[in-house]
Parts: sequence; structure tokens; C-alpha cells
Amino acid sequence: MARRHRFMVVDDELIVRESLAAWLEKEGAAVDKAESGEQALSLMEQRFYDILFVDIKMPGMGGFGLLEQVKKQFPTTLVVIITAYGTVEHAVQAMRLGANDFLVKPFDPESLGLLVAKLLEHQRLLEESQYLRGEISRCWAGLDQIVGKSPGMVELFDTISEIAGSESSVLILGETGTGKELIARAIHANSKRLGGPFVPINCGAIPESLIESEIFGYEKGSFTGAVRAKKGLIEVAEGGTLFLDEVGEISPKMQVDLLRVLQDKRFFRVGGVEPITADFRLISATHKDLNSQIANGSFRQDFFYRINVITLRVPALRERKEDIPLLANHFLQRFSRETNRHVDSISDEAMDILMNYPWPGNIRELENVVERAVVTSKKRIITPDAFAYLAAEPAAAMSCAGPRSLQEAEAAHIKRILDETEWNISRAAKVLEVDRTTLHKKIKKYDLHQHLNRPETDRR
Amino acid sequence: MNVAANRSDHGPAKEGLIAVIPLGRVGEDVLRVVADSLQGILRLPVDLLEPEPLPPEAFMELRNQYNAMTIIKHLSNNRPGKTMKILGVTTKDLCNPILTYVFGEAYMNGAAAVLSCYRLHRGRESEFAPREVFLERVVKVALHEIGHTFNLPHCHSGRCVMRASNTLAELDDKLNYLCDYCEMFLSEAVRDMLEREKGGAPQDAS
Repeated sequence: MARRHRFMVVDDELIVRESLAAWLEKEGAAVDKAESGEQALSLMEQRFYDILFVDIKMPGMGGFGLLEQVKKQFPTTLVVIITAYGTVEHAVQAMRLGANDFLVKPFDPESLGLLVAKLLEHQRLLEESQYLRGEISRCWAGLDQIVGKSPGMVELFDTISEIAGSESSVLILGETGTGKELIARAIHANSKRLGGPFVPINCGAIPESLIESEIFGYEKGSFTGAVRAKKGLIEVAEGGTLFLDEVGEISPKMQVDLLRVLQDKRFFRVGGVEPITADFRLISATHKDLNSQIANGSFRQDFFYRINVITLRVPALRERKEDIPLLANHFLQRFSRETNRHVDSISDEAMDILMNYPWPGNIRELENVVERAVVTSKKRIITPDAFAYLAAEPAAAMSCAGPRSLQEAEAAHIKRILDETEWNISRAAKVLEVDRTTLHKKIKKYDLHQHLNRPETDRR
Repeated sequence: MNVAANRSDHGPAKEGLIAVIPLGRVGEDVLRVVADSLQGILRLPVDLLEPEPLPPEAFMELRNQYNAMTIIKHLSNNRPGKTMKILGVTTKDLCNPILTYVFGEAYMNGAAAVLSCYRLHRGRESEFAPREVFLERVVKVALHEIGHTFNLPHCHSGRCVMRASNTLAELDDKLNYLCDYCEMFLSEAVRDMLEREKGGAPQDAS
């Protein structure tokens, strides 16, 4: 035995208590005896018992009464019901009330030995699974691996703790590189679905033609090249969490298909005729403004309501500047450990550069900047020269992480100029070197709005 | 009434501490191997007592077996003054209130143990096991039960004689001696017993 197990024999007959306790003691276990259910419960309040051996017939609280109380108050303790009158009804009732086994006196010594070994193995697996769940939860990090002490992050942590346990769909909003997937993993790690898989899909990275078969799977022969049936990612996520990153990239047709799965909780593989039940929690994320996508018709409103039961907004790094030193030191420690380079700290002057940089690429950019500094550093302290390029080219750095398409760039640029001119159309048109009619058309085309209370999210 | 069956190097002062008692008629060779094996592991002289009948109150009419727990209590309460551990040997079938049968029985750290030859005769493929196999089983049960009286629990390593054995196959599979750990614990327990005995010797000797 790995640790000393503790058993209790509960029987009103002294001779039974003594014989069974004597047998169990020889197994090296600590054994307590109780002559009534009431006495057993008061002993259980004082210490943990692995297994209780309980006689059905006892004056006062009977064996079944004790069994019910134990399962309610001490669910991790296993209970074996013993009786001299073995009837099927008794056995059924014992099992229904949650007994782990049922023995009729007198029992074969071999069966008692096997029973105890089986129950201890069961108990060991329970303990192991409890331990591993804790370990997985730590590896999966939960919240403790997300670095941040700023008010925005603290509020986010509170919200995650509150909503993790529910089954509702979550939509995570935030700019590129703010750690949306880490937030999704933290929700999964703190949910009841931790034992199940976390399946991330980057909708923007899978070609439109493949995304359907990736998500729903396909049956053999459903299209050229489908030489065998393949499970879709929805099936892989069974019992766990499906994370749709860049959900704004999903085509309207795919949105309809996914909407159906979310509503019916079942789906068909491509080319399949048998419905498959889907049991997953959906977490989606996007850096796009889905409201404007709904307005211009590229995102379905009904699908938006389905995925947006709970909304979380991850603040951009420039909105949580107080977290920059914390994050920079976190990455410094990680990279100096991983690269085996002994870099201890970042000098105050160097940190000032990091603090003043706008971080358009957010935490991912900060991570890369610190990694580069650690790898190239020849000293144990990172000095300002390691970050000189940031101070010199903030605008260039920004442009790398800005909008990708020409239209997005145009919309963002018009929006920025409008914000700068406080939505004075004439002044903005002048800056943009277009006439007012053209500007009005562009505003309508890109569905631009003036958000008076919205925190500034563009360049400062 | 006491017959000193074996004498060891420990000298007469330690005689009578360990005793084997036949309960009813038991074969001479059985008693001899039991006494010898106990003397071997305990390194103490073992007294072979005159036979006594099984206590009648131990008989369980409904089961046609003898209650090993009752026998142990009887032996413990009626052992000779100086005897610290006593092992009863019977040819009758033993059980206890919760088990359908037992090869032997002892309380942890108790003063008495009992073993039954009844089920040890059976062959695994024929009706009767060869005599040497039977005697080997007797030795294993005797050592195992006396081990419990010295507070040794079931051993979970290898084929030590203190491993639990509920069937003849399991009994045959284990060895007829203690593993290194159990032997160490046993010699400590024997030393403690001798020290306790020395402390109480004047009263016992009188």
C-alpha cells in the first residue's frame, strides 16, 4: 500500500466487527469500529475513511440510512454493504443508493481480498484523477498564467471565473495579439469540460473550400480524395470546447451550417446521412467589428446572437500600460530560461521605451521584442539600445500590424482622420484631399460611426 | 505437562516463551515441522505442549466448522504462565463469523494463533497433495499466522510468506520464509518481546 488506508467496520454485532477488523488490519490498514450509524458519522467528521463496511440491520440508523448520509456528506468514501440475508431487493437498493459493493455474510476470503483490492484501486484512480485534473488545470492555465494586474485585466479575470462554469457561448473581442486564445483556454480550464479536449480552429487560416470538411468531417467517397471517413473538428471537440478564432472570416454559408449545429446540437458529416450528436461549448474570437459586418451583410445577425451570449473584451496593451513591465519581465524570464542565456533584467531606461511604444501588435509583439532582446543581448541587463529601433520607427511598426486589405486600410484611415477632426466633414475632406460628397459616400460604404464614449483605440 | 521439543542457543531462560499445542489428534510430523520452522525464524526454543481438545464453544453447528476467533481467545486465555505466543494446530475445518473458511487465524500483536490442516491436504489436480507439499503448506500457514502475532501485516512485495493467500494456489506460490523487510521487523518485535518478558520475569518465574 502506498499510504496507510483507513477503514471502518460498522456493525452492531461485536463478533462481526472484531473478525472483519482483524482481517483488514492484517492488510496493514488502520481500522476503526462503530456499533451504530450515528457513531460512524461522528467518527467520519473527525477523519477521512477510504472504505466503510456497513451492516444493513442495525438499531437506530440502519445501514441504508448511513449509506445515504455518507454519499451526501462524504462522497469520496467508498461504502460496502454487508448483510446476513442476501436478497436481490437489498442488493438493488444498496446499488441504487450508491453502495460500491454488496457482500453476503459469510463471504469467501478470496472474494473479500479481491473486493478490497478492487476498491482500493478505484480509490487510487479517483485520487490520481483528482490530482491530474489539478495538474492539467495548472498546465492549461488557467488564470494564473495570464499576466496582468491592471484594472481591465482584473475585471476580465473576475468575469472569466464567473462565466467559466456556465455552458453559454462566449465571444472574445480584442485586437490581434492580445491573447484571445489564452483567455479561451482559461475559460476551458476553469469549466466542467476540462476533462474534454480544447479544439482551436483558426477560421482565417483554413481555405473556404476546406473549412466545411475540416469542421464537419466527411464520409468515405463523399468527394474525390475522400478515401476514408474523417472526423470533423466538432466531433473531436466532443465533451470539450470548440474555439473558433477569427470567426469574422467565416463565410455566410458556413455560418448557416454552424448555426444549425448550435441550435439542433447535431450535424451531418459531408456526404453523411446519419445525424451525429454534438456536445461542445463554443468560444469564438475576433478582432473585427462584427456589428459593421452585420450592417454590410457579410455576417449573419442570427449567428451573431448565437455565438455572442457572453462577450468578453480583452484590452489592447496600450490600454493597460501598467502591465507592460510585468509582461516584459515575465517574457524575459521565460526566454532566458528557454534560450539558456543569463539575462536578469531590463534597465529602467529600456523599460521607458517599452512603456512609450504604442504596441499595435499587442502582447505578441512585446513577446517578440523581448525574445529578440534576450537572444541578441551580450549583457545581463537589457539596455535601451536593444529597443532603439522601437523608439525610431513606431509608425512603421504600427503599419505592419494594421489593416490587411486595401479597403480596410482606407476605412481605418478615413475613420482616423474623422476622429482627429472630430467628425468635421469639411476639414476631414480637406485633409483627405477628396470632396465632401466622396467622403459621405465612403462613410456610408464603410458604415463609419462616431463613437463619442468609445475609448480611444487608435494611435495616440 | 510441557515437553521441551527443541532447545536453542538462547539457553533455558527463554524456554517456554513460544509454544505449539495440538488441538485434538495431529500427526507427529506436522507438529515437528511446525515447531522446527517457528524455532528457525524466531531463533527461540519452542515448546511442544500435550494435546488438548478443541474448545466445544468454538463449534458452529450450522456451518459444521470451528470458529477460529473463539479458539484464539481460548488459547490466549488459557496459555501457560510464561508463554507469550502460542500456536494451536488442528485437523478440523476453521472459519470465522464473516469468512466461509480460513487456513489459519491470528490477531495482530495477539498472544495466540491457530492453523487448520483440513484444507491443506487437497491436491490441485488430484484429490490429495503429496505429503511434502502438504507439510510445506502447514509450515507457510504456521509462519504466516505467528508473523501476525508479532504485528507483521500482509506483505505486498514478492513471494514473502507474509503475503496474503486465500487459496491453495496462492499459498503454494509463496515461499516458506520471510522477505528481508519482514525479517527485520520480526527480529525487532522478538527483541521487544524479550525485553518485556525480562521486565516481567520475576512475577512469571515465581
